[in-house]
Amino acid sequence: MTASMMMIPATGIILLALVIPALILLRYSFNAYDPTQLMVEAFTLDNYTRFFHEPYFQQVMITTLTVSLECTLASLLLGYPVAYFLATTRSRFKSLLIILTIFPLLVGNVVRAAGWMTLFGTKGFINVVLMYLDIIDSPIKMMYTTFSVFVGMLCVILPFMILTLQGVLESIDFSLTEAAENLGASPFTAFRRVILPLSLPGIATGSILVFILCMNAYSTPVLLGGPSFSMMAPALYDQIASASNWPFGAALAFILTLATILATLISSLYFRRKLKAMAA
Amino acid sequence: MTKLIASSFVTAVLAFLVLPVIFIVWVAFFDSSFLTFPPPGYTFHWFAEAARNPVFLNGFVTSLIVVAIASTISVFSGAMAAIVLVRYQFPGREALNGLLLSPLIIPNIVLGIALYIFFIAIADTLSIDLIASNVGLIIAHTMLVLPWAVRLIGANLIGMDRSIEEAACNLGAKSGTVFFRVTLPLMRGGIVAAALFSFIVSFENLELSLLIVSPGHTTLPIAQMQYLEFNMDPTIAAVSTVQILVIAALLLITDRFVKLSRIV
Repeated sequence: MTASMMMIPATGIILLALVIPALILLRYSFNAYDPTQLMVEAFTLDNYTRFFHEPYFQQVMITTLTVSLECTLASLLLGYPVAYFLATTRSRFKSLLIILTIFPLLVGNVVRAAGWMTLFGTKGFINVVLMYLDIIDSPIKMMYTTFSVFVGMLCVILPFMILTLQGVLESIDFSLTEAAENLGASPFTAFRRVILPLSLPGIATGSILVFILCMNAYSTPVLLGGPSFSMMAPALYDQIASASNWPFGAALAFILTLATILATLISSLYFRRKLKAMAA
Repeated sequence: MTKLIASSFVTAVLAFLVLPVIFIVWVAFFDSSFLTFPPPGYTFHWFAEAARNPVFLNGFVTSLIVVAIASTISVFSGAMAAIVLVRYQFPGREALNGLLLSPLIIPNIVLGIALYIFFIAIADTLSIDLIASNVGLIIAHTMLVLPWAVRLIGANLIGMDRSIEEAACNLGAKSGTVFFRVTLPLMRGGIVAAALFSFIVSFENLELSLLIVSPGHTTLPIAQMQYLEFNMDPTIAAVSTVQILVIAALLLITDRFVKLSRIV
């Protein structure tokens, strides 16, 4: 069997199930929409300009970007110390701790959203406990709020952040901190001037990865945010499934993909400059 | 002192991660038809109830069929591609590698929408309805997990010591014999990791499948999602618990073959 023949099945699958469908979707995004005929063959940019003229969709995009940024930042602040601990510990529980990090990731977003529902509901665990302790008189509304979406998404992305950071931190030679401390640096300075710059590539990769995951989140915002909380992926799904406006839905799909790629590019440029500044 | 603060912080974060999983398992045993804390008692009743529910049962079976076929196809085609990508130098190798990994970069919901309109276009022009059977789901999931197979088997091949194959060649083994008696056994770790990881990624996927399911051909996560939009009760908790057990078993098997922290 020749090498090129061995490439055929895999390449064929991607061409058939990804490249061709994506090209058709791109073509559809230039079509026009008519409420009676649905999609009309055309070549127009109306669907793209509509996105920038409708305050609703701008709001959805702003919500998506805000939630994604907040979650990324929070996951970095919570994840870094955990990753640092996992990378430096000599505990015999290390592999157990890593399994504990990976396991929720593999259980799936829907199941975890269901778990948060049992905690956040009006008759959920948190409200029952708070009322029993007489801290509150009536249940607090936690489901279908920005808070529940934030917590749910943070729980989804945190394992990715921890594992990425841990991978990078593990490759760092920690005897460097000892050298810095021997030369008179305080532990904090040694961390800030030696370990932090060396782990910056991990911070960049982890942040970009989890940001993309947040931008494209579907099940968590739908289940924990409810119908009134709109993010891009659910809005996109609605355009195709409920509104049956394929051209506009197709345009939204490419806007979301582009926004994700653009945000990724900007942040990787930022990190590269920061890395250079730190090296200088 | 700092050590104590550090370990309690780590424990708190990890507890936060497993908290929803623990709660869903706990609720599955509540002896009450709706969610109430504290539970009036405990029962196994909801597992039987969940097993009788045709939507969840069909969802589970559909998921297993789709996942098994998609994983098998992707591991075979991914292994062949990985061998070529790792061992041969040719123009466009990087581009081809990027193409095979591209399902990881494009939002799953966008991939799902693109496939949906593609399948409808096929139904309109060729009168073959891929959505009304499991075929559409299998095509979609094969594409979804292929990058994992290429990546994991490729990583395994990169780390492989080629001097063993050379030794076999020098001792007079034919190229076919070398492949089946030396290379393939050495690839086992990567193949097992690829198969199990494909299985898990495909089994829990929701976004890609959302539009390409039809009545009777719905995956388990979608059945759960549709149920959860209206109810949160011990039945769905029992269904989720079964799913958690399946994943946990697979995770333990995978961990015996490869260090999980290396592949995620």
